Amino acid sequence: MTMDIDARGLACPQPVLMTKQAVDKDRPSRLTVQVDNEAAVENVSRFLGTRGYETTSTGQGDLFTISARYALKTEEAPGSTATAESAPADPVTDGREKSQKILVLIATDRMGFGDDDLGRKLMISFINTLGEMGNDLWRVVLVNNGVKLTIAGSPVLETLCAYEKQNISIWVCGTCLSHFDLLNEKQVGETTNMLDIVTAMQLATKVITL
Amino acid sequence: MGTADDAGVYKISDDLALIQTVDFFTPIVDDPYDFGRIAAANALSDVYAMGGIPKTALNLVAFPLSSMDMSVLKKILAGGIRILEESGTVLLGGHSVEDDELKYGLSVTGFVHPDRILTNQGLKPGDRLILTKPLGTGVMNTAVKAGLASQDQIHEITELMATLNRDAAKIMTRFPISACTDITGFGLLGHLAEMIAGTLNGVRIFSGQVPLISGALAFAEMGLVPGGAFRNRQFRGGMVSVGDRIRPALRDLLFDPQTSGGLLMGCPENRVHDLMSALHDQGISSAAVIGEVSDTLPGKIGVV
Repeated sequence: MTMDIDARGLACPQPVLMTKQAVDKDRPSRLTVQVDNEAAVENVSRFLGTRGYETTSTGQGDLFTISARYALKTEEAPGSTATAESAPADPVTDGREKSQKILVLIATDRMGFGDDDLGRKLMISFINTLGEMGNDLWRVVLVNNGVKLTIAGSPVLETLCAYEKQNISIWVCGTCLSHFDLLNEKQVGETTNMLDIVTAMQLATKVITL
Repeated sequence: MGTADDAGVYKISDDLALIQTVDFFTPIVDDPYDFGRIAAANALSDVYAMGGIPKTALNLVAFPLSSMDMSVLKKILAGGIRILEESGTVLLGGHSVEDDELKYGLSVTGFVHPDRILTNQGLKPGDRLILTKPLGTGVMNTAVKAGLASQDQIHEITELMATLNRDAAKIMTRFPISACTDITGFGLLGHLAEMIAGTLNGVRIFSGQVPLISGALAFAEMGLVPGGAFRNRQFRGGMVSVGDRIRPALRDLLFDPQTSGGLLMGCPENRVHDLMSALHDQGISSAAVIGEVSDTLPGKIGVV
C-alpha cells in the first residue's frame, strides 16, 4: 500500500503528527511526505526511522519530499502483531503493549562465584535458555567481561546471533571492547555507550543484572 | 557599560549599577496563570544571570479584547505578580495594547555592585561549566502541542519553567564565577557559542552529564524537535563538532530553545565541588557539571 501525505504549510509538530496518524492507522508499506522546511524533513525522517522505515529525501526551497519504504526484514506486514522495533521504542504507543520490556545486563562471562568452569557452563546455559522469555525479552546488554561472549569462539555466539535476528537488541559496551582491545573482534550486536544503556534501563519494564 | 548580554547595565555610582531588561512572548502553556508565572520567571532571569537582584518591574501586555475574556488577562497578571512577590520585586505599573495575538512579559530593573557584574564573557581555561536546570522545554512543548505529553510531564515542565533562577544566582555570588548566562532561545550550545566566539577559549561538553527533562530524549527521537533547534544548529553548527557516538536526538536537545532555562556558569576547578554541594543543598538537584573550558581549540565546542 502506497500513501502520499501533503504536510506543506503546516507548523511543527503537525507534519510528524500527520505521518504518525497515517502509519498508526494504515501501516503503508511505502509512503511519501511533502513538507516545506528542512526541520520537518529531519523530524519526519527520524520518526519514520523509529517505525522501521528507510527514508530518502529530495528537494529544496519550500518543497521537500521524503520517500519512505518499510524496511524491517520480516515477512509480515508492518501492521501485524509481530511488530518488533530495531530502533528506540515510541514512548507513547509502543507496539508491544501486551508484553514487558525486559533488559538483561550481563557484566561477566560466567555465572556466579565459586567454580569458574561451572560458572562458564552456567552462563552458556543461561544465554541459551534466555529465549524462553519470548516477546518479553527486549535487550541484552553486555559490559565488562560480558563483551567476550560476542567474539569469535564464544560458545554462545550462535545463540546471540539468533536472538538478534529475532529483533532482540544485543548491545555491546564500546568502552569495554576497547579496554580489552576487542573492537574488531565483535561478531554480534551493536556497539553502545553508557548513555544509551542508562536510557534503556529507564525505558525497560524490568532490568535483570548478572 | 557595554556588554553583549540580553540585559543592559548603567553605572550610577561607584557602588551601584542598574541592570535593565525586557522580555515578552506568546503563550507557551494553556493555563493563563501558569503562563504569567513563566513569563515573569523568564523576564527576571536576565537580571539573575548578571549577578544582580531584581527590584522593580513593569508589565507589557498585548491582548485581543474582541476575542478573549478579561478574566484571562487577570489570571495572567496574577501569575506574574505571584512570581514577582517570590523574587521580592515590586510591580510599578505597565502598559497594554490591543492586538490580535496575546503576548505578555515584563521589563525588569535590578541592582548590582559595578565590580560584581557577571557577563557571558570571561571564561578561563580550566573552568568547569555548570548548568542549573535540565534541558528540553522546547521539545516538551512541541510534544504538548502534539497532544503526546502526559499530565505529569506537563506539570513537571510548567513548574520547571516557573522556577526562578534566584537561588542559583544567590549561591553564585559566593563563588569566583568567571562568566554566566541564562539558557533561553539559542539553546545550550547557542548560548555557549556566544560565550566563546572570538575568544581564545574552546569548550568540551560531556553530553552524558547534561541534565535532561525526563521524556525529552524519547520525544526528540520521535521527531518532535522544534524548528528553533534546527535554526540554532544551522547558525552555530560551524563552531560545534559532535562525536560519532552522540545520537542526533541528543545533539538536537543541546540546541533546543529553552523557555526560562537555567543558569550556565563557569567556575574554577578547585571550587566546583563546593559550588555543586551548595547548589544541591539548596535543592537545585538538577545542577550538573557539564563541560570544561580549554585553550586547545579556540572558538570551538566539542561534544563528547
